[in-house]
Amino acid sequence: MLLFKLAFRNIFRQRRRSLLTALSMAGGYILCTFSFSLSEGSYNNAISFFTLDHTGHVQIHIEGYVQRPKIHKTIDDPQRISELLDSRNSVAAHTLRVFAPAIAYSDTDNTPAQIIGVDLQRERSTSTLEQKVSSGSYISSEPDSDGYYSAMIGAGISYSLNIGIGDELILISQGADGSVANDIYIVNGIVGDRNSLDRGTVFLPLQAAQEFLSMYGRVHEVSILLNNEGDSRSEAASLQGVLPELTVEPWQVVESTFYQSMQTDKQGNNFSMGVIIFIVFVGVLNTVLMSVLERTREFGVLKAIGSRPGKIALMISFETGLLASLSMMAGVLIALPIIAWFTAIGIQLAEPMNVGGIVISHITGEMSLYVFGTPLLLIILFALLISIPAGIRAARIAPTEAMRSN
Amino acid sequence: MISAKVLTQHRQLYCTANMANPLYICLLLMSFLFPNPALADDRAIELIDEMEALYQGQSSSAVMTMIVETPQYQREMEMEASSIGTEKSFIRILSPRKDRGISTLKLDMEMWNFLPKINRVIKVPPSMMMGSWMGSDFTNDDLVNQTTLTDEYDLTLDETDEMYTIVLVPKEETVTVWGKIDYIVNKEYMVPVSQNFYDDNGELVRKMEFSELKDFSGRMIPTRLEMTPMNKEGHQTILIYEELEFDPPDVDESIFTMRNLRSRF
Amino acid sequence: MQTFKLAFRNLFRNVRRTLLTVMLISLSLAALIAVDGIMRGMLTLMIENVTSTIVGEAQVHRVGYRENMDIDIFLENSDEIAQKLQQDPALESFTARVISGAMISSSYNVTAGLLYGVDAQRERTVSKLAQAVVEGEYLSGGDSELLIGDSMADLLEVGLGDRIVLTLSEAGTGELAQALFRISGIVDFGTRELDDNFIFVNISAARQALAMTDQQTHEFALNFVNLEDADNPQLGIFQQLNDEETEALGWLDLNGEIGLIIELSSYTSLIVGGILFFLASLGVINSMFMSIYERIYEFGVIKAIGTRPAAISHLILYEALLIGVFSCVLGIVMGYLLGLYTSNFGIGIGEMEFSGIAFSDNILSEFHIIQFTQFPVYVVLLTVVAAIYPARFAAKIIPSDALQRSL
Repeated sequence: MLLFKLAFRNIFRQRRRSLLTALSMAGGYILCTFSFSLSEGSYNNAISFFTLDHTGHVQIHIEGYVQRPKIHKTIDDPQRISELLDSRNSVAAHTLRVFAPAIAYSDTDNTPAQIIGVDLQRERSTSTLEQKVSSGSYISSEPDSDGYYSAMIGAGISYSLNIGIGDELILISQGADGSVANDIYIVNGIVGDRNSLDRGTVFLPLQAAQEFLSMYGRVHEVSILLNNEGDSRSEAASLQGVLPELTVEPWQVVESTFYQSMQTDKQGNNFSMGVIIFIVFVGVLNTVLMSVLERTREFGVLKAIGSRPGKIALMISFETGLLASLSMMAGVLIALPIIAWFTAIGIQLAEPMNVGGIVISHITGEMSLYVFGTPLLLIILFALLISIPAGIRAARIAPTEAMRSN
Repeated sequence: MISAKVLTQHRQLYCTANMANPLYICLLLMSFLFPNPALADDRAIELIDEMEALYQGQSSSAVMTMIVETPQYQREMEMEASSIGTEKSFIRILSPRKDRGISTLKLDMEMWNFLPKINRVIKVPPSMMMGSWMGSDFTNDDLVNQTTLTDEYDLTLDETDEMYTIVLVPKEETVTVWGKIDYIVNKEYMVPVSQNFYDDNGELVRKMEFSELKDFSGRMIPTRLEMTPMNKEGHQTILIYEELEFDPPDVDESIFTMRNLRSRF
Repeated sequence: MQTFKLAFRNLFRNVRRTLLTVMLISLSLAALIAVDGIMRGMLTLMIENVTSTIVGEAQVHRVGYRENMDIDIFLENSDEIAQKLQQDPALESFTARVISGAMISSSYNVTAGLLYGVDAQRERTVSKLAQAVVEGEYLSGGDSELLIGDSMADLLEVGLGDRIVLTLSEAGTGELAQALFRISGIVDFGTRELDDNFIFVNISAARQALAMTDQQTHEFALNFVNLEDADNPQLGIFQQLNDEETEALGWLDLNGEIGLIIELSSYTSLIVGGILFFLASLGVINSMFMSIYERIYEFGVIKAIGTRPAAISHLILYEALLIGVFSCVLGIVMGYLLGLYTSNFGIGIGEMEFSGIAFSDNILSEFHIIQFTQFPVYVVLLTVVAAIYPARFAAKIIPSDALQRSL
């Protein structure tokens, strides 16, 4: 207790030195936090971007569908699954989808197309489909007055068939029962541009697709968005337990190629973060060593008047720890608004980037306990670790020698 | 990657063969069922020729039922078909009701479908004419098999009291997926009993069985053809000729026109 | 000059502090060099993953081919193009390809896929196809040789030596044609996209099946001596090849998505670099201030006897400059050594659950001249700039206040 008071007083006694040391540590903290925020942010933003596009965080299929998609590999009771997911807290939203290869015809041309039947309502909150509509509108799921359903087509199909908003689109495919699926749809929306991933896709309302393919009430895929992306794997495992007859997989498995390249990226990032932490460490080393060793003379005097080396060393560690904590508090206070700004608004790019219909205009970071807490713990740890040997050394020097030193 | 985008397109183009015109196979079945053999054994050749001629005439018309069995569904289709040689054919689906009226016209290598539901005639792109047909057990090899040229197979002939067995082994250059094909022919009626397809190791991969002989215009013809793949559990395709007429009087050129294709049925 | 000498001597008065400061700055420089090297290495790795697996660093096509990869849109003058490519000094290698969709059947099953007819020897120099062969042999020019992805082989229930019949549409006529091949090798790229869907044969066999002449080619894939050249549309070879009929594009244009990642990556590097600079400058400011406080009595004395403030501030600045220069020399050495290590051994990707030819596993750091020219200059500047505030502070010391301080 006495030591604590002493340490406290010492800090304020040596105002300048303490201030310098504290500023240095606080500054290091703020920069460290910023870089963590950047690193986490860019990694998570990329994942978020990709998973929101169409994958979702977790997907449910019948076994073997992902490896070899076949029209008959269906989930036959999506109702039950929807109810389950709607009532589950960790799930933010989910949607149902149907897939089939087809040939699309206009009056004069034909081209292969991928049909994706989606639950339009649910799709809105689970993926960015609505934002990708580049002309026309996000279609309705109801047939029009003549009984025709609407379709949204990729820009590639629009180009190949030379059709646009309001034109008729014929789709031919094979139904789940083997029959010849054929029907006419009205194009009411165009998605993306000619370079988009969706350029060869025809989006239909789920029911229309199910009717077309003679698969009433059945779907191929349930795509789930969680409240927390980080839970993808655990949530998938948990859901798998509840749905043993189906295959529930996190996005890392479904989109393994993307995941692999993200991991590569992360590795490079981790290296950079490691380097930054190292430099922060050196900075703290620099600061603490300087401030402790500067006071050798002072400690010499203390020893000369009878203080025991152990106590001195302890006091040094206390002081350093206390100082580090105080500077961290200040650091957090200053870092909070900065990181908050960075997360919410971010640094503007010289030119906004267009990725398949979605526009990225800023680099943003992330706020989390990890971002704020890790640098804090690290710096305090570094400071303490450094102060111990430094303090011991300072405390051991013979008083006469100490008092002669600079 | 560039490959992903390319892939999707090509895959779609050729995958749709999976839903390819179901009727094309019938036409080709009739014309390509028996590949033309090489000249090694005269008697064998004669036999093969006779088998081939069994289902063909200058022109023909037929009513057939096709049953496709898969582990996922069983599908039965009834259709009427007319043809002149192997170049012109016209097929119309009679049942199930959903597909009733779907018609196909084939002239040489071109094909058109009429789909009554949407009241449109669409041309069938070449890609759709290949590949596994509509989940059935016939392969593109059957459809586009060009081994009707001579000198493609080596033949040997065996016989018992009741049966001829003709074994066809493709030559080195012959384009086929089969390592060996054999025919078992009933001596008494001179009709095929079974046709078996083997891989290069001699393993039976699929077999076609002919049964239920009926008399049509003086010829004894097996009216039930069953194709069973050995490597796919639960799959089978059965073709049953309900009616078959050779050189019928009412089959003339006007049937094989776009006009007829479009006509309401 | 005298001030300069004084500054030099001053540094040795408190060796420990000087050393600590030098350590901080030099490590910061070394860190900058290391991070820059790794960032470059990562970028190269990413690009390589995209280009070297199959795509190549640049491609030449007939105008309009890339839209749908229509087999009828091919280059007619292959020999002419090949000659231009051969003679261009900027190119390291090139290869020709004929590409078509096809139905692929075995005795057991049938599937759709993409056929690549490749020039076996040249292909080795551009893509990783040869390395991806896991069973059997790579192509050697034989007409019936065929390489198939391992998962496609599973689907078709085939192995080495088995029959494969390809059904394709001939270029020009669209007539169906078939060709017989025998599996001579099985490949495993490690990605589903490739292993599920691609088959490779010798280009002559592909041309024959598609009824194409040897002057007709769908695609040339190229590799450059210097990767950066692929981005330069002004480069000779691009100028030569691009006209109304022919289109030559670098990998960046072919894969727009990667360009975005690169842009984002360079922003990130910039920010990281900035952070490192700030960290270093904090240390410098700290150090300078400490050293000034320590000598505050002295400064008080010399000011009292008439030294001009400017001289004091110059002294501090010179001290900073010297520290900066010392540190840079040390930093360059450390950075170079670290770079040597990481460029040869790289930093591993760690536990990769999946791996394969498509993803090489080590990020190798790269040297670049600016790491050793621009960075040190920035660091020295930084050190001096960081010392400005402390220098001004020292210059403004009031002698009477300073002289009061004791112990």
